[in-house]
Amino acid sequence: MKEITLNVNGENHRLEIEPHWTLLYVLREKLDLVGTKEGCNAGDCGACTVLIDGKAINSCLFLAVRSEGRRIVTIEGLAQNGKLHPVQQAFVDVGAVQCGFCTPGMVLRAVSLLAENPQPDATEIRQAISGNLCRCTGYVKIVQAIELAAQDVTTGSGVSDE
Amino acid sequence: MSNAYQVVGKRAPLVDSIDKVVGSARFGADIKLPGMLEGKILRSPHPHARIRYVDTAAAEALPGVLGVITAADTPMVRYGTIIPDQTILATDKVRYIGDEVAAVAAVDLETAEAALRLIKVDYELLPPVLDMEAAMRDDSLRVHNDVPNNIADHIHFERGDPDGGRRDAYACFTRRFTTPAVHQCYLEPNSCVATWSENGSLTLWAPNQGPFAARLVLARALVMPEDKIRFIQTFTGGAFGGKTWQQVWPITAVLARKAGRPVRIVLTRQEEFEATLPRVPMIIDLSMGVYRDGRLAFKETRIMSGNGAYSISAPAVHYVAATRYDSLYRLGNIRCTADLVYTNTVPTGMFRGFGNPQMHFAGESMMDMLAEAVGIDPVEIRRRNAALPGDTSAHGWYLGSCAVQETIEKAAEATDLVNRRRGGRPLADGKTFWGIGMASCIHVAGNRTIYKPYDGSNARVQVSGDGSVVVYSGEADLGQGCRTVFAQIAAEVLGVPMDAVTVAAADTDFSPFAIGTVASRVTTLGGLAVDLAAKDARDKILAAAAENWGVPAQALDMENGSVISRSHPERRLSFPVAAEIASDALGGKPVIGVGEYRTEGVVLPDPQTKYGNIAIAYSFGTQVAEVLVDTETGRVRVLRFVAAHDVGRAINPLGVEGQIEGGIAQGIGYALLEEIKMDRGRVLNPDFLDYRIPTSVDIPPIESILVEPDDPNGPFGAKSVGETAVVPTVAAVANAIYDAIGVRLTDLPMTPDRILAALREKRAGSQPSSSGA
Ligand code: FES
Ligand code: FES
Repeated sequence: MKEITLNVNGENHRLEIEPHWTLLYVLREKLDLVGTKEGCNAGDCGACTVLIDGKAINSCLFLAVRSEGRRIVTIEGLAQNGKLHPVQQAFVDVGAVQCGFCTPGMVLRAVSLLAENPQPDATEIRQAISGNLCRCTGYVKIVQAIELAAQDVTTGSGVSDE
Repeated sequence: MSNAYQVVGKRAPLVDSIDKVVGSARFGADIKLPGMLEGKILRSPHPHARIRYVDTAAAEALPGVLGVITAADTPMVRYGTIIPDQTILATDKVRYIGDEVAAVAAVDLETAEAALRLIKVDYELLPPVLDMEAAMRDDSLRVHNDVPNNIADHIHFERGDPDGGRRDAYACFTRRFTTPAVHQCYLEPNSCVATWSENGSLTLWAPNQGPFAARLVLARALVMPEDKIRFIQTFTGGAFGGKTWQQVWPITAVLARKAGRPVRIVLTRQEEFEATLPRVPMIIDLSMGVYRDGRLAFKETRIMSGNGAYSISAPAVHYVAATRYDSLYRLGNIRCTADLVYTNTVPTGMFRGFGNPQMHFAGESMMDMLAEAVGIDPVEIRRRNAALPGDTSAHGWYLGSCAVQETIEKAAEATDLVNRRRGGRPLADGKTFWGIGMASCIHVAGNRTIYKPYDGSNARVQVSGDGSVVVYSGEADLGQGCRTVFAQIAAEVLGVPMDAVTVAAADTDFSPFAIGTVASRVTTLGGLAVDLAAKDARDKILAAAAENWGVPAQALDMENGSVISRSHPERRLSFPVAAEIASDALGGKPVIGVGEYRTEGVVLPDPQTKYGNIAIAYSFGTQVAEVLVDTETGRVRVLRFVAAHDVGRAINPLGVEGQIEGGIAQGIGYALLEEIKMDRGRVLNPDFLDYRIPTSVDIPPIESILVEPDDPNGPFGAKSVGETAVVPTVAAVANAIYDAIGVRLTDLPMTPDRILAALREKRAGSQPSSSGA
């Protein structure tokens, strides 16, 4: 066991962890942040996507020890003061959510895309989310949602993940 | 479509989508109970073997292990959804690689995994039964000792005069079509949390498609009264047919009893691919013929369906493949023989569309071949044969509404298919070919269920004194959006805004009985029950308001959320005030509306002849695919899909579009990418790296066209769409590939290798020509 401090959604957590534990495991089982999903535990589906210092990563492949001293944002930390992030709002509004299991990862992937590229075209969006599987929607409305959120973010009505 | 309704027919985001975007929706693996242990299942590494003994002593002695179970800890009765051929854990034999042999509960996953490695199983290996045709021979080894020829189910029926039809046909073809086992690949793996109370009752949480239907089979497996089992549906991360039955439920239950603590088991993705219930693979030998004028002369089918090691719901899937396609067209001369065959491979089951996509792949490919043979286009042959509203089909299906004609025309028009067909001419680069293809389909809406023949639904609508509304239904939302549809129906009937309505999760202790989300029955049958319950609540509120005003109840009506007097429309009560009056009259109790929908006019088909009207309504659709085929690499790119679907009235057009888009995406995967590859019973690709499902870059823009005839039976005229959407997709892609490069692929998936091989055969002149009339 090793003692570390994780900064998750703006809060510090002191934890005893095994060095081989993944960030996904620690988030779900030790911090009870079960909004982050496990779809494959092998880096193939993107359901476990979280933000580390604003960048989307697959938390099932990321060792928890490596996240010490970095800013981790999970889906639970995205809405601010009860207001949905524009990406979350857009997913709801255009019907990009069906079963919702891919949604946390997909939303965070989109947030990180828009941070890097505030006005992506449809092809860039499709490329950016191609590591996040969705079996329900056929991606059509997910792409639309991200396009809509990009408009919101660039017109300044959005909030960033900062 | 013009719409006099306030809520029904409006585009509604799913009522639970906020829970899902903020991460608060609790799925199966998110359930945690105090003292909960982690469970793991020991699975057979052999496709076929006798179990001599299982030694669990070392596993039990491992610190941190609180329970180990083998078949001896289970009731050892045989049960099944349709055919009783399963046990909770393997007793005498293991029948596929992945078959459950034992299970362990421990303080954490690592300890449970370590304990699995300490269990010793002594197997006597048996030769595996792998090939369907060989399995059916008299001298084949048996998967189940009491089933000769490994035939789990045999179907044979005839309608009209198939031999006469064949004799009189102007053109006919016979082809073999094959479809592989493919996995539902719902993103959420199956899981279960189970706990027992001191009085011997069991509570389970699991993602699933219908807790009452699940409980029925669980009660048989555990040999305990149904009402001692409480089955709670968690948020369900997709299912597509794959979460109607799972062995992990009874295993977790038995393990929790043995350990004396709550237990959670979450399947890995590898277990999902190796040991859950993928789509039934089929070998379909199909002959079809047409008269000179393009009308269908006959259809003759021989089907072999892969059951795998246990039956679960495959008999029903197999039955759908044998029958359903036939009612799409005015087709009278039919013969069908179909066998469902046991092999030592993973058991198969339901997957969106049941056996219908398999048969539509064959049938709709054949329709294009027949059109070419008589010199008409794919649109015309479908129009000439399409069923019409009011028809009773060869199987006795009454088509109360049917707009298949319109879907054909609209899809053709939107894509200008007739004029844009290429017929195998290359683009400028000389190696890339563009093509377009169409396929139509029929599906059910509110099918007779496959458990017991109960096929109604029940609902309760509770209106509190403050005007808030809760809908209770035992039907299950898997992400397809039935909670939203139910909220819309209740809101419409009561005249309240949608956000005044909550739809409770399905829980066998509290929800009214329902069969669940199978057989395209939830919008129709579930929706009709909610409609009746909401009307009952409304009538009770009107009665209370009438008494309050001292007028007869018939003098009052509900309009835009207010109770009004018919004769004095200026007299009105807002809904919350009316609800308060009604509740006060009951001493403060909420008003409870009860809805029990019982199906009329639906006849359970005769078990032998399969004749009978199987559903309250039938949905239809036509899809058109545009593809690019690279003849150097064999790669197919889907460029565009246009889908015209007869869904009856769309209660939630946004949800309908979502179903069409998702269905087509799954169909594209089935057409081009997906296959559970096996070698001697072993799954070779049990992960998303090797079993590729479509990603965002594989799916083209999809345009949905909703055709909305009012169905006489459906709620507000609605029918179904979720399953229908995947039914014609594969055939549309196959027909587009044919248009592009002039080769007809009859084996799924249509991989680059297969395309290149077919092109080579064509160049060598051995591809059977389509003009072989
Ligand atoms: S769970 Fe991490 S990529 Fe699938
Ligand atoms: S919404 Fe179900 S996997 Fe994406």
